[in-house]
Amino acid sequence: MTEVKSAADTTVPDIPTGRSRRVRGRPLLYTSYAQDMALLDTPAKRISTGLLVVLAFSLSVLLADRSLEVLAGAYVLAIGAIGLNIVTGYAGQVSLGHAFFVAIGAYTAAALSGPPGGDTIGYGVAEIWIWLPAAGLVAAAAGVLVAPLATRLRGLYLAIVTLGLVFLGEHVFKEWQSLTGGPGVGREAAVPRLFGYRLNEDGPLGTKEQVLYLLMLVLLVAFAVAARNLARSRVGRAFAAIRDRDIAAEVMGVPLTRYKVLAFGISSFYAGCAGGLLYTISGYVEPGSFSLLMSVQFIAMVLIGGVATVSGAVAGALFISLLQPLTRALPSLVPVISADTTQTPNVFQVETVLYGLLIVLFLVFEPRGLFGLWVRARNYWKTWPFSY
Amino acid sequence: MTATIGERDVSGETGITTTIVTRVRDRALATPEGVALRNKDLGIWQEVTWAAYWDRAELVAHALLALGVEPGDRIAVHSENRPEWLYADLGTVAARGVTVGLYPTNPAAEVAYLLADSGSKILIAEDQEQLDKALAVADECPDLRHIVYLEPRGIRGRYDDPRLMSWPELLALGAGHRAEHPDAVDRRIAAATPGDVMTLIYTSGTTGPPKGVMLTVGNVEFAVEVLVTGGGFTSPPPSERDLALSYLPLCHVAERAFTVWFNAAAGVQVNFAESIDTIQANLREVQPTILFGVPRIWEKVLAQVNIKQDSATPVKRLITRFWLRRADRIGDTLVRTGGRHTAGTRLLYAAGWVFCYRSLRERLGMRRVRYAASGAAPIAPDVLKFYMGIGIAMHEVYGMSENTAVATANRPGRVRLGTVGEPHPGVELKIDEATGEIMTRHPGTFAGYWGKSRATADVLDPDGWLHTGDVGELVDGTHVRITDRMKDIIITAGGKNIAPSEIENALKASPYVKEAVVIGDQRPHLVALIGIEPDTVGEWARRRGITYTTYRDLSEKPETRELVQGVVDEVNARFARVEQVKRFAFLPKELDHEDGELTATQKVKRSAIAKLFEDLVEGMYAR
Repeated sequence: MTEVKSAADTTVPDIPTGRSRRVRGRPLLYTSYAQDMALLDTPAKRISTGLLVVLAFSLSVLLADRSLEVLAGAYVLAIGAIGLNIVTGYAGQVSLGHAFFVAIGAYTAAALSGPPGGDTIGYGVAEIWIWLPAAGLVAAAAGVLVAPLATRLRGLYLAIVTLGLVFLGEHVFKEWQSLTGGPGVGREAAVPRLFGYRLNEDGPLGTKEQVLYLLMLVLLVAFAVAARNLARSRVGRAFAAIRDRDIAAEVMGVPLTRYKVLAFGISSFYAGCAGGLLYTISGYVEPGSFSLLMSVQFIAMVLIGGVATVSGAVAGALFISLLQPLTRALPSLVPVISADTTQTPNVFQVETVLYGLLIVLFLVFEPRGLFGLWVRARNYWKTWPFSY
Repeated sequence: MTATIGERDVSGETGITTTIVTRVRDRALATPEGVALRNKDLGIWQEVTWAAYWDRAELVAHALLALGVEPGDRIAVHSENRPEWLYADLGTVAARGVTVGLYPTNPAAEVAYLLADSGSKILIAEDQEQLDKALAVADECPDLRHIVYLEPRGIRGRYDDPRLMSWPELLALGAGHRAEHPDAVDRRIAAATPGDVMTLIYTSGTTGPPKGVMLTVGNVEFAVEVLVTGGGFTSPPPSERDLALSYLPLCHVAERAFTVWFNAAAGVQVNFAESIDTIQANLREVQPTILFGVPRIWEKVLAQVNIKQDSATPVKRLITRFWLRRADRIGDTLVRTGGRHTAGTRLLYAAGWVFCYRSLRERLGMRRVRYAASGAAPIAPDVLKFYMGIGIAMHEVYGMSENTAVATANRPGRVRLGTVGEPHPGVELKIDEATGEIMTRHPGTFAGYWGKSRATADVLDPDGWLHTGDVGELVDGTHVRITDRMKDIIITAGGKNIAPSEIENALKASPYVKEAVVIGDQRPHLVALIGIEPDTVGEWARRRGITYTTYRDLSEKPETRELVQGVVDEVNARFARVEQVKRFAFLPKELDHEDGELTATQKVKRSAIAKLFEDLVEGMYAR
């Protein structure tokens, strides 16, 4: 009449878990942890995310090449911002040295894919599936090397140490001319080639911009999903515990050193990959670009987008990247602002002021960034007809 | 209208008496993988299939046989609602034992009384708290031989009483017994007769010590046929697709019916709330389709709506207020039509659904409620009207332990507010002409009070009529309106008969009033003891910038007195002069079961209150 199996498991909790069927129309009723932790746990999220991805892909045929180039750059920056968000947002370790790791990735990729026997170091491996992981891994290795220093420091001290990295890097890259080509000269960036097919030229898949746009979009989706997945895992929870209070986390049994090293490693991997990809669009790397300004820009993306959220980092990167073409259009609308750098006020000054202003405004009014604005709007409707 | 228990309960082919046990066993055979129960543990609603449910129940039955339980032996369960409660109940009935439910809030003294009065052989205690109560009074319960505990925390390794046994040990014992005597339980089930007493349901005891109501297999089967499979409450009848939330004490007949019997007979999926404090959250998660509540719950939810609405942002407040006023109008119309929508209300409701009602019901966890019922105590019609207005099919129902909760119900589409509805089919109901007492007769009438034959004779006529102790009248010849409990009727010094519960419920319909006790027997006029609702009044005080420290301090604020005076004046306006509350005093504390002011079902013990707060009452008359 009944199964015999029950006799054996009488000492363990007597309710079978693991089976996961959703109960129709009850989005909050979770019958297993898998449901509770699902990335897209409601139909509404699944549909809206799907639509967003479809829209992003269809933009490659809808937009002009010029806009696609800007967006492709934004996507790469988004990968870098997600990386910074992992170490700064999720794990709470302030890092001003992100530009350093981006640079390592950029030069690893450029050196690997560059032509052998030229002015600068080159190994002639142009296949993207080799140089992209390599760029990430070398940057990650650098991150892991730096991490032990960082694990001993907190807050302001950590910020200063990572700031030092940027200056060290700036000096090394300026002097190491055989790798970087030297300041003001630069070198050719990594060439994206996939199974012998060059991705930065017009081809059967579309124009150069369309192909690069699609490449960056696919990579961004892959990196973003990986980051979301990491954030909901044991590792992600350990990061959050360290961020909220490292001593408390250690007391709970989270090995601090291991997870801080891991956070720096993963974050640097993302930075390295972003660095390798970033310059394939313009095709040219200049060592002066890896300055403190770049680190600050990444910090701005994370802060404006939203700390400790992947979608926030993407939104922040898009916001910062798209701000540029918008401000460039200002002179035609507001005659007082000049497009000429020799006059005051000019677009570039306006742009710098705008960055600063935005960071200040966001920190004062919405510290959770663009994502916070979205959460606010969502909660307004979610709590309808009440306020909480 | 003759009783046909024999024919009804014996299924044609097998000759085995149908009980809730055979019903669950049949479900386990027909749909072994269907979901029977869900229990929220470690943040997850863990599912129990019918096969697993029956397996546990059968193991418990085997274990009881192994412990020497004979037909008619009493097994007490002292636990919050959880699957083990049902396993124990089913296992007991399968072993032809008698389940005795104890309220989790019962203090040790009452536990002693209940265990001794019922003569329970085995006690299933939930945790250390309940176990300690039992051990403290074990000397007064000579029949108690075994105590099984469900939660080992704090018990394992610390207690060495030889009577103790953990739940896994009990199941292991059952597994061993099953291996040796695989058909022992089946033989017991086959031997069951409709006359077997299957449970003792103790009355709440507002006046004297609780009495154990003996319900037989035949009683419960009649109730199941009328209420569940016959669709005595819901229309269409409940099915496997329905979800219920189990949160009221299972030792009460109403919750037993809505949890155990609805589940066994109709396959309704039962979800156990984490505790009485998490109902709001659990309701939102489960979104049950069938929801039973006591007036206290419905009043509390309504008060929550008012608080949250008042503290919402201006735009939301404006829109919600607008649509709640419309809901009031819809409610008025529904009250007139007996719960059937007119074209006008349908249109208005559809518009309001978009702006307010859908999300409001979602927030309350009642989005998918297709049948809601209030019972077990009188409720103010205004509260019911609110729920009808926002689109929840709300019905007041009436029944008591002594008639297996089968008496009257408002039927969908034939609701008459202020009444408890029409008698179920198969129920004879009459109103005593001299006293106005409601009397019922049907196969669900209980077998008697356990060990109290004189008390039984007091309420049960030789010809089978049950004296309910409620005074009522017929409205339009179909619906029953209950005036009050017979013994609560107040006769003022002027000789006027007054039903206090009507006035009390009108007062309690205000979100600011939690308890109201109207007093005036043999007095020149009525006075009331009023307990404020600390949540709502606290919120009200906070918004007005009135600082307070304790419950008593808040009660004694002149502003609070003004607030409640307003409520009292409003209620007084609706009653005749003699029925008006002339003075009121605040209860200095929140009433509590532990202090003997409330029964386990949160009903006020009038006599205890009158004695405890005598000085307050006298003070009101002295002025």
